[in-house]
Amino acid sequence: MVVWKEFDENEVTHSAAHHLMAIDEVGRDYGGWARVSDIARHLNITRGSVSINLRSLTARGLIEQDEHHMVRLTAQGQQIVQGIHANKTVLHAFFRDVLGLSDEQADVDSCKIEHLISNQTARQLARLIHFLHADGADGVKHFKKFKDRCHDPKSCPICKTAQAAGHQDSVLQQLEHTREGINETVGQR
Amino acid sequence: MKPLDNASVVEELNRLMAEELEAFLRYFQLRHRLREGEGHDAEKFFEGALEETAEHAEAIAAHIRKLGHTPTMKITVTAGGAPISFREALSEALVFEQQALDAYKELLPRIKGEAALEKFIREQVAVEGEHVQEITQLLKQKS
Repeated sequence: MVVWKEFDENEVTHSAAHHLMAIDEVGRDYGGWARVSDIARHLNITRGSVSINLRSLTARGLIEQDEHHMVRLTAQGQQIVQGIHANKTVLHAFFRDVLGLSDEQADVDSCKIEHLISNQTARQLARLIHFLHADGADGVKHFKKFKDRCHDPKSCPICKTAQAAGHQDSVLQQLEHTREGINETVGQR
Repeated sequence: MKPLDNASVVEELNRLMAEELEAFLRYFQLRHRLREGEGHDAEKFFEGALEETAEHAEAIAAHIRKLGHTPTMKITVTAGGAPISFREALSEALVFEQQALDAYKELLPRIKGEAALEKFIREQVAVEGEHVQEITQLLKQKS
């Protein structure tokens, strides 16, 4: 399987994920049932768009509609929503507590990929967070103190790709490599 | 009588305008998705629908201006898909037309006392209601 195609063949699209989560949230106070108008307000899109999108979710058995055009998640839809929530929690914790991003940035970035990562990746990420937070490991503390320095910037694929992409950070990183290299050389003398 | 909550009514009118403009775009795309040979009926229907949705959006924008605001648009339409029959296009049109009708109906009780706007929304409910009926009728004929 070509990896980029997996993005399109994901179980739920970004839009579908948000529709399912909106139904879950809006319907919470009404026994799981949500009105199209409330879903539209929640997502800040038109009712027409919501209705069109709900058609495909109904066809896929992720939601059901009653005679009053109210909708709710099926068991399969609920399972997907729970999975997305779990992924989001793990990703948010990783971005904020491990990488040190702001709460807002962690929220935005976790939202972008919460429905795309596999359960296996989420589980391993959760394991990594637990490992870094484990008693005595102080992993997060060490990471925060760590001054970014690549051991082999000339052949390191990360550094090379970043530089080729013209990221500003890569330039700074290169300068850092050079500065550290000079310091080391001077120190050795 | 309770004074009209201008800001929230304008917000609703902006939403309605977006519904109409989105419907226009969806009709535009549906028209070009029609399979060859769907005939004069389909062409006539889409011409009318495109004209009507654009006119409605224009009228809503004028009412927003009358209330002392400028129209605000938020439209997010992604529409793809393979060629379809006129019947399939009608079935999709019915979904968003029904929503537009419901949206007009829901706004009606909130604008009591604003005579001109109330008259306009009542007319819209009637027009959209007829439109939904027309699509339903066409769908029956095509099945």
